[in-house]
Parts: sequence; C-alpha cells; structure tokens
Amino acid sequence: MNGLTVMLQKEWREHIRNYKVLWIPLVFILFGIIEPLTNRYLPEIMESIGNMPADAEFPWPEFTGQDIFISLMGQYQMVGLLIIVLGFMGAISAERKNGTAALLYVRPLSFVQYFMSKWIVVNTIVLGSVWIGFLASWYYIQILFNKVPAKDVFGFLAVYSLWIVFVVSIVLCLSAWLSTGAAAALGITLTIIGSVLNSIIGQFWTITPWKLPVYATYIFTGHMDWTDLWLTVGVTVVLIGILILAGVLTAKRNAARTEI
Amino acid sequence: MSALLDVKDLFKQYDNHVAVDSISFQLEPHTATALIGPNGAGKTTTLSMLAGLVKQTSGSIEFADMEGKDIRTCIGFLPQYPKFFSWMRALEFTEMAAKLSGMEAKVARTEAERTLAFVGLEDAMHKKIVTFSGGMKQRLGLAQAIVHRPKLLLLDEPVSALDPVGRRQVMNLLKELQEKTTILYSTHILNDAEEMTDQLIFMKRGKLVEKGHLNHVKKKYEDPKIVVEFGAVDDLERFEEVVPWRIETKGTVGIIDVAETSASMTDVIAVLNKGVFEVRKLERHTARLEDIFLKVVQGG
Repeated sequence: MNGLTVMLQKEWREHIRNYKVLWIPLVFILFGIIEPLTNRYLPEIMESIGNMPADAEFPWPEFTGQDIFISLMGQYQMVGLLIIVLGFMGAISAERKNGTAALLYVRPLSFVQYFMSKWIVVNTIVLGSVWIGFLASWYYIQILFNKVPAKDVFGFLAVYSLWIVFVVSIVLCLSAWLSTGAAAALGITLTIIGSVLNSIIGQFWTITPWKLPVYATYIFTGHMDWTDLWLTVGVTVVLIGILILAGVLTAKRNAARTEI
Repeated sequence: MSALLDVKDLFKQYDNHVAVDSISFQLEPHTATALIGPNGAGKTTTLSMLAGLVKQTSGSIEFADMEGKDIRTCIGFLPQYPKFFSWMRALEFTEMAAKLSGMEAKVARTEAERTLAFVGLEDAMHKKIVTFSGGMKQRLGLAQAIVHRPKLLLLDEPVSALDPVGRRQVMNLLKELQEKTTILYSTHILNDAEEMTDQLIFMKRGKLVEKGHLNHVKKKYEDPKIVVEFGAVDDLERFEEVVPWRIETKGTVGIIDVAETSASMTDVIAVLNKGVFEVRKLERHTARLEDIFLKVVQGG
C-alpha cells in the first residue's frame, strides 16, 4: 500500500483521537459567532449592565458586514495563528524526540511521503476550521448587518487561505528543522509578530506573503492593486514550495537525531 | 552458501568520537548472530546503521539480491526501548507497519492479526497501546518487526528489559523465528546468547575484537581445567605429592590446568586409583561464555 495513503490515515486518526479535529474548528466557529454578535449588541449590553452615568453618550460607529469580516480576520491573525503554531509545532519534532519516529523511519517510507502526509492533514484541519469560522460568521452578518456578496466572501477566503497554507508550511518546516520549543518561538515570531511588523513598517514592501491578509481585506474595501496581489500570490506559492522542500530535507537530515 | 548480508569496514564517527570503528562481518541466511559487548561498545549504533536509521561515515552494507532496491523492505527492526503512538491500538499499529512495508491492505490486516497472536497479544490487539505493560510493548515491538516477514531481523537487547518470565517467552518466540529468518541481535545477557546463537561477534569500544561460530569461540577460549575436590586438606596434600603436575589449590579443591600440564582425565583417575583418597567431586571444567566475555573484553 502507498506510504502516503497509510501516513494520511495515521495522521487523520491521530488528530481525531487527540480531538484536534473537534476543538480547533470549535474555537474558530466560536470567534466567528462572537464577533458579529458583540459588535451588533455591545451598545445594548453596555446600556443594560454597564452602570454608566445617565447622561453618558457613546458614539458607537456604524459597522458594515464587511467590517465584521475584517475584524474577525484580525482575531484569527492573533488567536488563530497562535492555535496553529502551538497546535502543530511538534508535528515532526515531537515524534523525533519521543522516539516514535524510529519505527516509521526504518520502514521504506520516503520523507516526501512523511512530510506531505502531515502537510495535507494539518492544512485540511486548519483550512476547514478557518472556512467554517468565516461561514458561521457570514450567517450572522447576513442577519445582523448587511448582505455581503458571495463573490467577495469567497475571493477574500481564497486569498486568506493561501496565507494560512503559508503559515502551516512555516510551522511544519520549523518542526522538521528544530526542536519543538524552538519551532514554537520562531513560528510565532515569523507569523504573528511578522504580520504585526509588516503592518507597521511594511508600507513600501508590497510583494510579500505577509501582505496577503491585508490584500484579502482589499477585496471588501475595493481598493485592490491586482498586479501586487498576483505577484504576491506567485511569490507565496514559490515560498511554500521552498518551505516544503526544506521541510522534507531537514526531516531527512534530522532523522539520525531520533531518540532510540 | 552465500552471505545474506556483507558488512565491510563499517565506520561511524560523531564529532570527534568514534562509535563504530571499521567492523566487517557477514551473516549467513537462517542463522542467529549475537552482538556482544559492554555498554557503549557500539552495538546499538551498528544495528541502527544496518536498519538505515543512522548513516555510516564510511564503509559498506551489502544485501544479497537487493541492488538498487530499498533494503528497508526486507529488514525488521526492534529498538531497545520501542516507542509507539500510544493512542493507537495494537492491531492498528501492526497493520500500519505492515502496510508501510508494502503489504496490501487486506493481507496486512490478516498478517497483523496472525503476528499478534503469535507473540501472545491475541486478547490485547484491540486495546490502546497506552494501557500496555513493558512486556506487552516488547512483544508488540517484536510483532511490528516481523509482521512483513523480513529476511533480516535486527533486535537491540530484545530481552534485557524483561522479567524472567517475559524473557523466557520472548526467547522461545525468537527460537521459533530463527528457523524462518536471519537474526542479528545485541545482548549482554550471555545465557541467552549461548542458547540461541550460531555466530558470536564481540565488540569493545567500537572495535570488533572477536568473532566466530559459538563452538569455535568456545574452543579457542575454553581454557580446560580438571577440578578435584577432596574430603580433607590432608588428601589434597598427599595427592599433590604423588602427581607430576603443578596444582593450584583452593581449600580442599585442586585445580589442574590442562593446557599447561597436558594432564588428561584418565591420568588423574589413574593417580587417584593408586592411592586412598576421599574424592568428593571430579570434573572437567571449560570456560563459560561469561568467562570468555570477560577475557575478550578485558584483555588486550
């Protein structure tokens, strides 16, 4: 039987048994529902329990459905990325550390199959979670705010998904290369802090994967520079390819460091 | 008979520490070979290189009839402390091992069941590995190593971590396997080596210090002695006076070195028959594997 198929089965079963297939989507759905609800009802909530001075006036901005999508993405850029990094930082390094990898590495299994099985399953779980999160949010946005065109929502999701695949590739490549702790530290730096830094100082640096989430929001706001987007998409796809290659090679090189 | 495995000048260096120093040996099909040596002799590193887990610095490992193929398909490996995915069930793990080694899904399932029954895990095959005892894990480790019917079975200290009952069970399984496959295993429990070995390989500080057929090695180091135990010291002293050989004495026991004196058992009996001696015990003593081990490993 094909090594990739066997490993896909193993990875999927593992994430069912450790409940990642359940709790990661739930967290994303939770954020997806809370975001439109709080933004819609916060004025009322504050009025009823806020214990405000009677004459206090709070100018509450008028949000559109598009704004809610963008602010939900902001949540995912912090909490979501943290879950991805912390949830999968040990995908390869932990198997090396606890010795379970030894019984896989002595089989006629290629490191391409080994790495790709993890890449495919982690991407499936994470992308699935992001999508259900946004779709759940969309449902409430339609009810509580305004109708957002499906074309925009799916365009936005497509661009943001590429960013998520880039993040997963970084995390798995780091896990193949470093120990779990180091992979987490560098993973958080490269993804979360990287996008914060990019939003501060990245004004003139337009063709970079770290710009993808920003470009995704431009689909809603309508001032997209399509040339920049397509160039960025191209660069990101190439970088993902390089990360996968580096992950496969470092996983292979580090196989001898497996505890036996 | 041509060799199944031919190892030439295998060498492994970690930074500035030489773990395995140019060892060469061959394994004949359907034989069991014991890799013997003290801790840190390089046994595990040698097995890891053969299993493809660690790349050698230099030297060659050649498998018969396997040019250009992945030799891992015909190797089964049991590490000293096998680590499993504890969330898996025993059958799932064994089945995965079989499939990864290229078995068809259906065959893998039946072979996994058969193998688990063979190692005595029939009742536990649907239990999660996290609930397994040390002995059960060792038997599961053996199951995953043999489920794909490898031509060569590499076992790192297969019984060291087991209690006497578990050790006996695993040894019996290995003896059964010996008829079907070629086994190379490391051990420092010499009774086991004596029980199931055709060839011995002694390692010390990365070097191969002695190798050969069990009987040949025993013969080489047999160091035969004739031991006579008398009823009283008086008897021993009288015996010493009448024999022409030098005798080492220990209480009422006299020890005659055969190699040194060329005395034979018949000679000794003849002397004993001439006088009146109270003899408690008369035996010809040859070195046990443990003595040979100490001699090979400590000498030189």
